[in-house]
Amino acid sequence: MDKIEQIKSVFHDELAACSTIAAVQELKVKYLGKTGELTGLLKSIKDLSAEERPSFGAKVNELRNLMEAVLAEKLDELKVAELQRRLQEERIDVSLTATKPWGALHPVTLIQNEITELMVAMGFEVLSGPEIETDYYNFQALNIPEDHPARDMQDTFYITDSILLRTQTSAMQARLMEKKKPPIKVICPGKVFRSDSDASHSPVFHQIEGLVVDKNITLCDLKGTLEYIAARMFGENTKVRFRPSFFPFTEPSVEVDVTCSNCGGKGCSLCKGTGWIELLGAGMVNPCVLENCGIDSKKYNGFAFGIGMDRFAMIKYGIPDIRLLFENDQRFLKQFGK
Amino acid sequence: MKLPLSWLKEYVDVNVDIDTLCKKMVDIGWEIEEVVYLGEKVTNVKVCQIVGIAQHPNAERLLCCKVDIGDEIIPIVTNDHHVKVGDKVPVALHNANLANGLHITKGKMRGEESWGMFCGAEELGINADMYPNADVDGVLVLQNSATVGEDIRKEVGIDDYILDVAVTANRQDCNSVLGLAREVAVALGTTYREPAIDYVEESVATTDLVKVEVLATDICKGYFMQGVTDVKIEKSPLWLTSRLAKVGLRGINSLVDITNYVLYEIGQPMHAFDYKDISEKQILVRRATDGEKIIPLDGKEYDLNSNDLVIADKERAVGLAGIMGGANSGIKDDTTCVLLESATFARMNVRRTARRLVLRSDSSARFEKGIETYTNNLGLSRALHLIQQLGCGKITRGRISVGEVAQNRTIKFDKKRIASLLGIKIPDEQIISILNSLNIRTSVDNNSVNCIVPPYRDDISRDCDIIEELIRVYGYDNIKGTLMPKSRITTGGKTEADKLRDKIKNVLVGLRYNECIFYPFAGKALFEKASSVAVNEGQYIRVKNPIGEELSLMNISLTPNMLQCVGLNLSRNNRDLRLFEIGKVYLADKLPLESLPIEQNRLSICATDVSFDDFRRDVLQVVRSITDANIKLNRSSSATLHPGISANIFLEGLDVGSFGKIHPQVASNFDIDVDCWFAELNLDALFTLTRKEIKYRPFAKFPSVSRDFAFLCDEDVAAQDVLDEFLNLPLVESADLFDVYRGEKLGAGKKSLAITVVFRDRNRTLQDSDIEKQSGKALRVLKEKYNLVLREQ
Repeated sequence: MDKIEQIKSVFHDELAACSTIAAVQELKVKYLGKTGELTGLLKSIKDLSAEERPSFGAKVNELRNLMEAVLAEKLDELKVAELQRRLQEERIDVSLTATKPWGALHPVTLIQNEITELMVAMGFEVLSGPEIETDYYNFQALNIPEDHPARDMQDTFYITDSILLRTQTSAMQARLMEKKKPPIKVICPGKVFRSDSDASHSPVFHQIEGLVVDKNITLCDLKGTLEYIAARMFGENTKVRFRPSFFPFTEPSVEVDVTCSNCGGKGCSLCKGTGWIELLGAGMVNPCVLENCGIDSKKYNGFAFGIGMDRFAMIKYGIPDIRLLFENDQRFLKQFGK
Repeated sequence: MKLPLSWLKEYVDVNVDIDTLCKKMVDIGWEIEEVVYLGEKVTNVKVCQIVGIAQHPNAERLLCCKVDIGDEIIPIVTNDHHVKVGDKVPVALHNANLANGLHITKGKMRGEESWGMFCGAEELGINADMYPNADVDGVLVLQNSATVGEDIRKEVGIDDYILDVAVTANRQDCNSVLGLAREVAVALGTTYREPAIDYVEESVATTDLVKVEVLATDICKGYFMQGVTDVKIEKSPLWLTSRLAKVGLRGINSLVDITNYVLYEIGQPMHAFDYKDISEKQILVRRATDGEKIIPLDGKEYDLNSNDLVIADKERAVGLAGIMGGANSGIKDDTTCVLLESATFARMNVRRTARRLVLRSDSSARFEKGIETYTNNLGLSRALHLIQQLGCGKITRGRISVGEVAQNRTIKFDKKRIASLLGIKIPDEQIISILNSLNIRTSVDNNSVNCIVPPYRDDISRDCDIIEELIRVYGYDNIKGTLMPKSRITTGGKTEADKLRDKIKNVLVGLRYNECIFYPFAGKALFEKASSVAVNEGQYIRVKNPIGEELSLMNISLTPNMLQCVGLNLSRNNRDLRLFEIGKVYLADKLPLESLPIEQNRLSICATDVSFDDFRRDVLQVVRSITDANIKLNRSSSATLHPGISANIFLEGLDVGSFGKIHPQVASNFDIDVDCWFAELNLDALFTLTRKEIKYRPFAKFPSVSRDFAFLCDEDVAAQDVLDEFLNLPLVESADLFDVYRGEKLGAGKKSLAITVVFRDRNRTLQDSDIEKQSGKALRVLKEKYNLVLREQ
C-alpha cells in the first residue's frame, strides 16, 4: 500500500514539472503505458493474499483513474497555453489598402452594355450591321433620295459613288425589315462616321439604333420606352421631353431631351441653364420606309430611335471632350474599372 | 436663318417678351441657336441737345458744351468743332459702354468738367445703311425728330433682336422672314399679315420685250419673268437698307437691294438682266455645252459642261442659273430696262455646279435648300411692288410664265389614324383649329379628316405629315409614356458572337487589361511605321473624301493604332500598359470596291509589364475561354513582330493570329523603349471553334504516378514537341516543363529540359513496369527525332 502512495506522490511531482505537451505524453506512457509503473504494480498483485487482492486492485484502479484525469487536465491546460502563445507570435501588419485592380471596359462599352441589358430584358434582339454600307441602305431606303436636302445634314465619307461609311445605325432599319416580319424589336449598336471633328464631334462615334415594328405601336410607346431607358440610365426621377424635329425616315420626328442629371433640371453649366440635355433623335417610322421594305404600312406602325452612346457616356461620366474617348490614355481608361 | 425681330413684327404681332417668343418657337419645332440684342454693347447713351457752346479756357482745340439730356443740363467737353447749338447728338453718360468696347466715365478735361462724351456712328455700331449721315466722320448729328433724353438705341434702330433660327431641311419655306412669321403666328396664336404684292402694270407688254424658252425642263420646273422700263437706279431708303444691314448685307442700289430684300423676306432669289444686253429678245434656259465658258459678276472665267444650267440669249450664256448672273448682262449705271427673273432651279443641280466651280452666293445657298413655283411668283410680285413703291421704274404688262404654278393639294385620311399613330385622341375642334392656324384648311367628319395644303408646304404629302403638324402644335407634352401594351411578346437577346465577344472582354479585364477604342481608319504613314517591310497601299480601302490623309485608309490590322497608342502613353510616362481592342478590319476582294467588303472582327492585345511567358499565357487563356481545340504555336512571320520571339496560333490547323515581341525596328519607329508584347487574333475564325457543351465526367479512382525526366538537347528543339511525345501516350495525364538549364557544362548550343509527366490508368493502380514501358517508347522516339539524351538523375 505504501508503494501506491509513493508512486502517486512521485507522479504528482513529475507532472508538476512538465511544461510541454510532449513531456506530459511521455509521463503518461511512463505510468500508464504497457510497461508503465501502474502496470508493474498490478502485476505485483499475485504476491498478495487472496483477502488483500480486491482492495489492492481497487486502489490501483482508483490511482489509474486519477492519473488519467489529471493528465488530461494538464494536457488541456498546455494546449490552451500553446494556442495563446501561437496567436501572440503570429502577427502581421494588415494595414495596407492598395489593390491590384482589374482592367477596365471602355466607357462607351459600359454604356452599350447597360442599354443592351435593359433592352434585352424588354424583348429586344441585339444585331449589328456593316460599317461600310451602300448608299441604298444608308440613305435611299430611309426616304433620303439622292437630291434630298437631308443629305446636307450629314457629312458623309464616301468609298465609291454608291458605297460609303454609314452615317447612322439607322442604315440597319431596312436591312432588318427586309429580313424579318413583325413583331420586330431590335437594337443595333455600332460605329458610325461623319466628316466632322471638334470637342463635341468625332468623325467616328457610336450609336444604338432602336427599332420596333408591330401592330398597335404608338408615339406613346416610344415615349414610354425612352422614359424607361432614361430612368435606368440617369435615375428614376429623370423626365423625358419631346421637341418637334425632322428626320426623313420618321414622321413625326422628335428630338428627345432629358432633365439634366447634373442639376436635376434647375439649370447649370452642363445644360447651359436650360435644365434639359439633348439626348437623341427619334420618331415614328415613316410609312415610306415600311413600304420600301415590303411591310404593309396600313397594318403596322413602328418607332425608331438613335442613341449617341459617346454623348451618353460624356453626360453620365462628366467627360468634357469627346476626343478623350478615342485617345486611349491608360489613366483615362483605368477610371472606368471596377 | 437670321431673323430680325423688327422685320418679323411687320408680318405678325409679337405680344410677348423675347424669351417667351423663343420658348414658344422651340415648342413647335424651331430651335433658336442664338439670340443677339443689337444694342447689347451700347449702354447709358442718350439723345441730347446742345444748348450752349463755349471755347475751352485752357485748350484751343476743345469746346465746352452745355447739353440738355431731358431732365438736366450737363457739361460735355468735345474736340469736334462742327457741333452747333441746337444739334441733337448722342451722348455717352457716366459709366456708359460703347460698341467699340470703350467705357466712359465722368471727369475733367484740362480742368473743365465733362460728364460724358459725344458719340459717332462707329461708337454706336451703326453705319449709313442704318441711320442718315452715319458715314460722316465725327459726332453723329441726329435727325431733328429725335427725342431728347431717349435711349439712343431706340433712335438709331439697334433696340432690336436678331434670332438665329435653325430651319430643318424639310421646311425650305421657312428660310424667309415670311415663312417664320407664319410659324410665329401659330406659336403665339396671333395674326399673320400677307405682304403687299400689288403693283400697276404699264402698257408695254412683257412678251413684246422678250421671249422665254425653257429647254432643260427637268432641272428648271418653273421660270417667270417680267420687265421694268424707265429704270431709275438710286440709293435705297433707310427702312430697307437698315433691314438688310441687320442680316449682314450692305446697301448697293435700289434694284439690287430689292432683290436681296425679297430673298430674305419671301425666300425667293431673283436676278435682274440688263435688257439691252439680251440679243434677239430671247431668253433660253438650257444646259451648257461642254467646254462653254462664262464670266459671272465675280469677273473670273469658268469652264462649264452639260450638267450646268445656264440662262442664255441666242448667242451666249448670260447667267449661271441660280448661282450668279453674267458680267455681260449685269445692271450698270446706264441701264434703262431690266428683265426680272424668278425661277425654280433643281436644288441638286445648283448644288453640284456651285460646288464644282467653287462659286457660291446667297442665291445658290437658297436654291440648294429647295424652292417651289408658288414662291417664285410671290417673290416676283413682291419685288415689283417694291420697285413701284421706290419709284425704280415702270412695270411691263403681263408675266411670262413657263411651268406649272404650284397649287393647293388635298389630303384626306381616316381619322382613326391619328390615335393609332400618336396613342392619344385629339378633339375634333382642336384638329380643325390647329390645322387652320397652319393655313391647312381642314374639315373633320365622323370618319375622316379632309385637308387642303397650301402650295408652299411641299413637305406635306400624306397623312403622317399632317399628323405631325397636328401634334407639334397640340404639344408633345400631351404624349404620355406607355410600354407597348398591345404589341406581341418577343424573346430578344444577343447573338452568340456578341456573347463570345463579351466573354473575351471580361476575361481580359480580369487579366487586368484595359479596353481601347480607335478610329477604324488611319494613314499610310502610320501603317509604314508599324511594319518592318514596305507597305502596299493598294490593299487598303480608301475614303474618297477623308478629313486628312492620316484618316484616309480603312484598317487591315488593329496593331498600328495600338502601337501609336503605346507610343503616346509611354511619352506621357504611363509605363505599365495593358491594353486591348476589339474592332474590325476591312478586307476587299477587289479594289475599287464593287460590293461590300469583308468586315472581320479582330482582337488586339498589348502589354509592357509582363514577360513573354506571362503574355503567352494571357493570350492563350483568351483562346481557351472560347475553345478547347488543340493549340499549336509556330514561329510567326509577321512584319510587325520580332522574328525570333513571336508565334502564330493554329487551332486545329486554322491560323487565328499571332503574338510576340514587337519588332525592334517598329518599336524604335514609335519611340517604344520598353519590352512590348502584341497579339492580334481573328475572332471570326476563333468563333468557328467554340467549346463543346460541358458534361460531367466521374474522376479517376486510382492514383496517379508522377515521374521527372531531364534531357540534354540542341537549343532549337521546341519544348512543346518533347511534351507532345509524352502527351500522345495513352496513360499520360499531363506533361509540363519545369526547368530549362544552360551552362558551360552542357556545351555551346545545348540546353537541358526538365519535365514532369503524370501517368494514370482509370481502371487500375499503375505498376513501375507500366511506366517503364510507356516512357521507354517516348524516349526512343525523342532520341530518333530530336537526338534527345536522357540525363543522369
